[in-house]
Amino acid sequence: MNALTASAAIATGRVQLANVRQGALVTARLRALWIMVLFVFVTLTACVRIVQLGLFERTPERASLAEALLPSRGEITDRNGTALARAFASYSLWFNPKALGEGGAPLVKTPEEVARALVGIFPDADYADLVARLKAGKPCYLRRRVLPEDANRVFALGEPALEFPREEQRFYPQGSLAAHVLGYVDEAGKGHVGMEQVLEPRLLDPAYRGTPTALSIDARAQGALEDELGRGMMETNAKGAAGVILDADSSEVVALASLPSFNPNRSDLAYNDLVFNRVSNQVYELGSTFKPITIASAIDAGVVTDLAKRYPSVPFQIGKFTIHDSHNFGTSLNVPEALIHSSNVVLAHVADLLGPVALKHTMEQLGMNERPTIELPARGFPLWPRGGSEGGKGDWARLTTMTVSYGHGIAVTPLHLASAYAALVNGGIWRPATLYKVDPAHLAPGRRVFQASTSARLRQLLRMIVVDGTGRKADAPGFRVGGKTGSAEKPGSGGYRKTSLIATFAAAFPMDKPRYVVIVMLDEPQATQQTSGQRTAAWNAAPIVGRLVPRIGPMLGVVPDAHHDVDISDLSPLVGSGEGE
Amino acid sequence: MVSAHRFRSIGWIALLLVCAALVMVLAFRVNALRSQVHRTELQIVALRKEKLYLETEVETRANQQQLKLWNDVEFGYVAPTAGQYLSNERQLAAFAKPDGPGSPAPIRVASADDAVAAEAAFPSVMSGLAAAADIAAPVVTADEDDDKPAAKPADAADRAKATANLGARLAMVTPLKNDGKSKTGKTDKTDKTGKDSKAKDGEKKAALARSMKTSKDEAARPGKGAKLAAAKSEARPGKAVASKPEKSAKPARGGSKPAP
Repeated sequence: MNALTASAAIATGRVQLANVRQGALVTARLRALWIMVLFVFVTLTACVRIVQLGLFERTPERASLAEALLPSRGEITDRNGTALARAFASYSLWFNPKALGEGGAPLVKTPEEVARALVGIFPDADYADLVARLKAGKPCYLRRRVLPEDANRVFALGEPALEFPREEQRFYPQGSLAAHVLGYVDEAGKGHVGMEQVLEPRLLDPAYRGTPTALSIDARAQGALEDELGRGMMETNAKGAAGVILDADSSEVVALASLPSFNPNRSDLAYNDLVFNRVSNQVYELGSTFKPITIASAIDAGVVTDLAKRYPSVPFQIGKFTIHDSHNFGTSLNVPEALIHSSNVVLAHVADLLGPVALKHTMEQLGMNERPTIELPARGFPLWPRGGSEGGKGDWARLTTMTVSYGHGIAVTPLHLASAYAALVNGGIWRPATLYKVDPAHLAPGRRVFQASTSARLRQLLRMIVVDGTGRKADAPGFRVGGKTGSAEKPGSGGYRKTSLIATFAAAFPMDKPRYVVIVMLDEPQATQQTSGQRTAAWNAAPIVGRLVPRIGPMLGVVPDAHHDVDISDLSPLVGSGEGE
Repeated sequence: MVSAHRFRSIGWIALLLVCAALVMVLAFRVNALRSQVHRTELQIVALRKEKLYLETEVETRANQQQLKLWNDVEFGYVAPTAGQYLSNERQLAAFAKPDGPGSPAPIRVASADDAVAAEAAFPSVMSGLAAAADIAAPVVTADEDDDKPAAKPADAADRAKATANLGARLAMVTPLKNDGKSKTGKTDKTDKTGKDSKAKDGEKKAALARSMKTSKDEAARPGKGAKLAAAKSEARPGKAVASKPEKSAKPARGGSKPAP
């Protein structure tokens, strides 16, 4: 019984034990299964990922290379490929007040010390403004476009809050060179003032912006022009200066400068009065530089056939107005003498013979009655004299014709004058000025204003003015410069102001086969020691041309040659000696 | 039977697996290469940007205004004046000093390549392939015609030797005409165009080569002698033979003997 009971009890215990064992086994198997499932899952995932990466990874775009190198805005170059404006990832100076962590001072040193150090690095920076920005504790740009070496110097200050992010910006490697031609791009990426505005659609078009756009400008000539104009301006304390170099045949603008200029790299400061372009936007009464145009018109019309013919040069009265010269040149002068001495009286007589219709026609043909033809957006409208009849559109009055003949009563831009001189010397064809590089095979057709023979005669006369007359200081040896001075009094309240002059020198070289027209203009030059106490163009504008031409000539392919010149021997005997304005 | 069937199906599966593995390896490799290309492209882009950056920096540092400042401070270069230019050779020649009494004799440089001089004196009417064939023709003819050891140097005789100076060539024509006539056929063989003038030219040259060979004593270097003779006799046609050392002059003399 006992045994039976005991054995039964043992059996029961065994069964229980077996159950427990089985349960444990099942659990263990389940766990193993789970782990296996996990492993399989991980393995499968890894395999799937490998296969996915290996087989189906998205292939990189084929066009990525070209796309990555496409600038955000197209490059502008000069005619020789020198970059004038390009999209460029330049350094900026960014103030990050949280660089040293939240709370506490954002700068290691005091804002005043940092600002002083920054002014030491950037001399044109505003100290008070910097201190205010650094004290405000807000993230902001302290400066855009920082040169790498300046960035290094700022870095050496040891301020972690001053950061240098590189951002794609418009950069002008040549600084303020040709600023008025190029214009600038504002922070929103919009072009202003010059070709940046005109070419905007092209510069932003993905199809074109990869290739640089070449302008007709030559950076070297532009540099020389700006340099010499700046020097002339400084020597004469002039308010401003303007200059343009035009290809006489194709009318491409090789250089165009208006001083004082601005720095397009500082677009934040660029929008001020300095963006005003004196060459294409400001109109001036350019005075005596018009005289060769009048004479050309008269020769062309057959009014002046004999250059030896003498005209009275004594002051005379037309209505209430007296036409007189700056000096007394005797009782009579012939045409070459009148140009050499710049006689208003003789020109008035010639214009009177020529008549208003022909002179007006010539001026219209030279585009003097419309805005200058150039791509720039800023183009000034000339002050075109009103005719006496037909609501101002009829013929000019007699006095108007006379004053226009010597460049008064009509105000045009220096660019108008440059185009007119190009037509005067290149054989008589007027072509619109352009800032695009022109293929010599595809010149603009232009229009004939003067006969070729007239042009040839004018070349002689212009050369004589430089050899014997008021333009002597422009006579660069070997470059056969020809040109005409012009010193016009500026109109003010109550008539012309005797001491405020516009001194212009309109030149072309080499006169035996003119290649380039150079116009130099000074706004209100003062009489200084450098100009021998004179304020007329012969003393301030002509020397600029005299210094400029030897600098640009060889670069533009004009070789100086003392053995070549335009033949003026047939006119030389007609000229006496004397001084003009 | 069953095992064989299974074996075959296992084989197929294994083959499939191997193929799949190979395809996968290939696909991996292709993609790896693609990524590499992509990486290289990125590198190119980065380098180009860096280049543009450096270029711009150089341009900025060397801009017109900066150059002007440097020139003002450091260099002081000025534009060249008219006196520094010469417009043509005449202006250059104007600088030369005329010969005065007791001035040294002008140095005369001998012409090195007499072939050029010969060509200039007696320009060939042919050019291109025809001319090349013409040059080749006489040499071949000479070789076939004559089995003497002198034929070898004649073969090696370059164009300068073959085209001797004008005097020598004119001298060759008359006495060797008979000789040349027999060779005309051969010349024509090599030159299929069969142009008369070319054939004659070939004859002349062949004759010259032959005449050089006929000189007995200097068979070893007839070429050298001929060349020297040609060069010298060109400078002074009359005295050429007499003034030369005997050794080198001989073959040339042989050549010029038939001259009237």
